[in-house]
Amino acid sequence: MRYLSLYQEGNSLLHKIDPITKLLFVIIAILVPIIINTLTMALAFFIISTLLVFVARAFKRTLPIISFSSLVIITVLFIQGLFYLKNQTPFFTLGPFVFYKEGLLYATGIAIRIFNIINAVAVLIFTTKPSDLIEALVKKGVSPKIGYVFSSVLQIIPQMMSIVDTILDAQKARGLETEGSFTKRAKAFIPLIGPAVLNSLISTKERAMALEVRGFNSKKKKTFLNEVPYNKYSNVLQVALIAILVFSIIWRIISW
Amino acid sequence: MNNKKSMWSFRFSTAQLVLIPAAVGINYVGKLFAGILKLPLWLDSIGTVLASMLAGPIIGALSGATNNIIYGLTADPISLVYALTSIAIGLTAGILAYKGWFDNWIKAFVSGLIIALVATLVSTPLNIQFWGGQTGNIWGDSVFAFLMAKKFPIFLASFADEIIVDLPDKVITVLISFAIFKSLPKQLISIYTDDHKIEKL
Amino acid sequence: MVNLVVEHLKYRYPLGNELALEDISFEVKKGEFIGIIGENGSGKSTLCQAIVGLVPNFYKGAYGGKVLVKEIEVAQSDVSEISSYVGIVFQNPFTQITGSKLTVYEEVAFGLENLGIPREEMIKRIEESLKLLRLFEYRHFNPFELSGGQMQRLAIASVIAMKPDILVLDEPTSQLDPQGSEEVFQAIQDLAKNGMTIIIAEHKIEKIASYADKIILLHKGKLVDFDTPEKIFSREDIEEYGIVPPVYTRICKSLNVKNEAGFYPVTLEQVYYELVKVYG
Ligand SMILES: Nc1ncnc2c1ncn2[C@@H]1O[C@H](COP(=O)(O)OP(=O)(O)OP(=O)(O)O)[C@@H](O)[C@H]1O
Ligand SMILES: [Mg+2]
Repeated sequence: MRYLSLYQEGNSLLHKIDPITKLLFVIIAILVPIIINTLTMALAFFIISTLLVFVARAFKRTLPIISFSSLVIITVLFIQGLFYLKNQTPFFTLGPFVFYKEGLLYATGIAIRIFNIINAVAVLIFTTKPSDLIEALVKKGVSPKIGYVFSSVLQIIPQMMSIVDTILDAQKARGLETEGSFTKRAKAFIPLIGPAVLNSLISTKERAMALEVRGFNSKKKKTFLNEVPYNKYSNVLQVALIAILVFSIIWRIISW
Repeated sequence: MNNKKSMWSFRFSTAQLVLIPAAVGINYVGKLFAGILKLPLWLDSIGTVLASMLAGPIIGALSGATNNIIYGLTADPISLVYALTSIAIGLTAGILAYKGWFDNWIKAFVSGLIIALVATLVSTPLNIQFWGGQTGNIWGDSVFAFLMAKKFPIFLASFADEIIVDLPDKVITVLISFAIFKSLPKQLISIYTDDHKIEKL
Repeated sequence: MVNLVVEHLKYRYPLGNELALEDISFEVKKGEFIGIIGENGSGKSTLCQAIVGLVPNFYKGAYGGKVLVKEIEVAQSDVSEISSYVGIVFQNPFTQITGSKLTVYEEVAFGLENLGIPREEMIKRIEESLKLLRLFEYRHFNPFELSGGQMQRLAIASVIAMKPDILVLDEPTSQLDPQGSEEVFQAIQDLAKNGMTIIIAEHKIEKIASYADKIILLHKGKLVDFDTPEKIFSREDIEEYGIVPPVYTRICKSLNVKNEAGFYPVTLEQVYYELVKVYG
């Protein structure tokens, strides 16, 4: 792997929407259910983001991410069902355990909120090339340097994974034990991470110099090689999304 | 660590900026090695702490934020919200380094405790908001369940859940970062500090 | 036409105790091919970096004297401004890849975007330099997929696209396999033929001997000599500076074959020329 990305080519409607609009949607899908902290709002956003996952034809690829969180969600259902502080109404019993309605409802709310976040993010990451998102942000006025940091991380991490193998082999060849008792394994950590750190810090020096001689600190107005086709609906969508956020904040203040 | 200039400068040198992706990479490698060695710790913020020690709290905080944003957008979306914790770790480590709290092992250990405490204080409300107070760690969550059964306030139960996980992890992370920092060549360390002036010969 | 003037250049690194460069002066004319030689730690890299302004602006430290490129004093200017007058290529091909671009084509664009070059001009320059460095067919590759030699040529292409008058190379082939080195030297030769001023620090003496018009000999941060390869390698004390002269020079020395000016030949062609003169 050369590049850290979950993006997959496709021609769904969501692939055609510009990255900034999708990013705005993610932010709003996370924030609005927090600002208006009701189960209905969480459910509404959960339904929207789940529908969008299907529109993006990304359901299958979202499953592994969801199942990862589902394990924790199951323990949440158990713990809250049994011990939630406002528990009052027994719902069912399982052997010696009494599960309460309030706790189960609360845990369901948590599950809906978590799955909402996952689905909203999935819509973005499965339909957007990270490089397009970053470039769009830079064109919107985000500092090109921050843009550089993000896009380089996506390539540096796969690079470092290959360094990990090299170091592991080299240190094992020198007799470092990476298996066996806990103390042995713990002692192996520094000889492994040390060279990786030194290696990556030394590269930062050379890379910083290479960047500087390629105009990284130039004060000129940056131009772009890639032209992103202007989408005439994206402005409307973005305004609508921001309106939802503003409206929810006002709602929250009024109904306080 | 000895940047006598203000530690809150937002004008970064290229070397400081390039340190951010490296820090995220180091975080990642730490986590990978901890997994390979089957250590019961995450060890996934060594890069953030080192970046703070080398280039100050702002670069440390940016490293932490970048780390979670990238992880959130490529693996686990929920880790996006824990960017706040990573930022807090970066800021705290950077301030402690600036104030000379990484001068020896004892101070580094105390710094580790402080960083663990700050990380826990930031994570706990997030855990409550998003997970009803849990961390997803078996040991921590068992304690959480026990305290909930005993009708402890949610914040305390959740705090205990988090600190059980964070305390050993962050203290050891900080000590490892300190050990690595001490072994770095001085010439390398000096490129991340920007208190140098060009002297005339 | 003089392209580069270095006057009484002195430099000490922030944590250095000694001067890394001590009172260096020389001039380079347009289109010249200059080699910098000297043992490890003699200051070759420091001098290369001083020519583009990274010394002192990247490291800070203590600096004196002047480096003038097209009458611009590099220490007083931004490194990014200098980059359209003089470019530099370093040793390690990996660390020169910006890491933020996904294709060879975009990688070359990086510097041009930063300098605000208009898009049409950018595309023209990218294609020109990729063709010049024989990388055009790889334009859609990820930079990290290239071989070491190709990566190093990409680094050169990226710098060339910024249209500098002078190209500085600091041991550009020291981390490459023989084939990669050969590719890079071939590319450098092509650039020299196109009239580019080349300044290269290099341990590979045979290469320097056959390409360089003039050689700078450094020792402990001081400029010992600045002259033609024949004169430099004919110096009686050359080995005291940690330099082993090219094999042809050594053979000629043992056979006492000299050219008209009284110096030992440094390349096979020169040896051949002298021998033909003697034996017909
Ligand atoms: N960042 C630095 N800080 C302090 N001293 C340095 C630094 N970099 C190099 N030096 C010192 O400056 C002197 C010149 O180093 P330089 O790297 O220019 O030598 P070089 O001729 O390029 O050597 P090599 O053949 O090994 O590449 C050496 O004594 C070196 O130790
Ligand atoms: Mg060198």
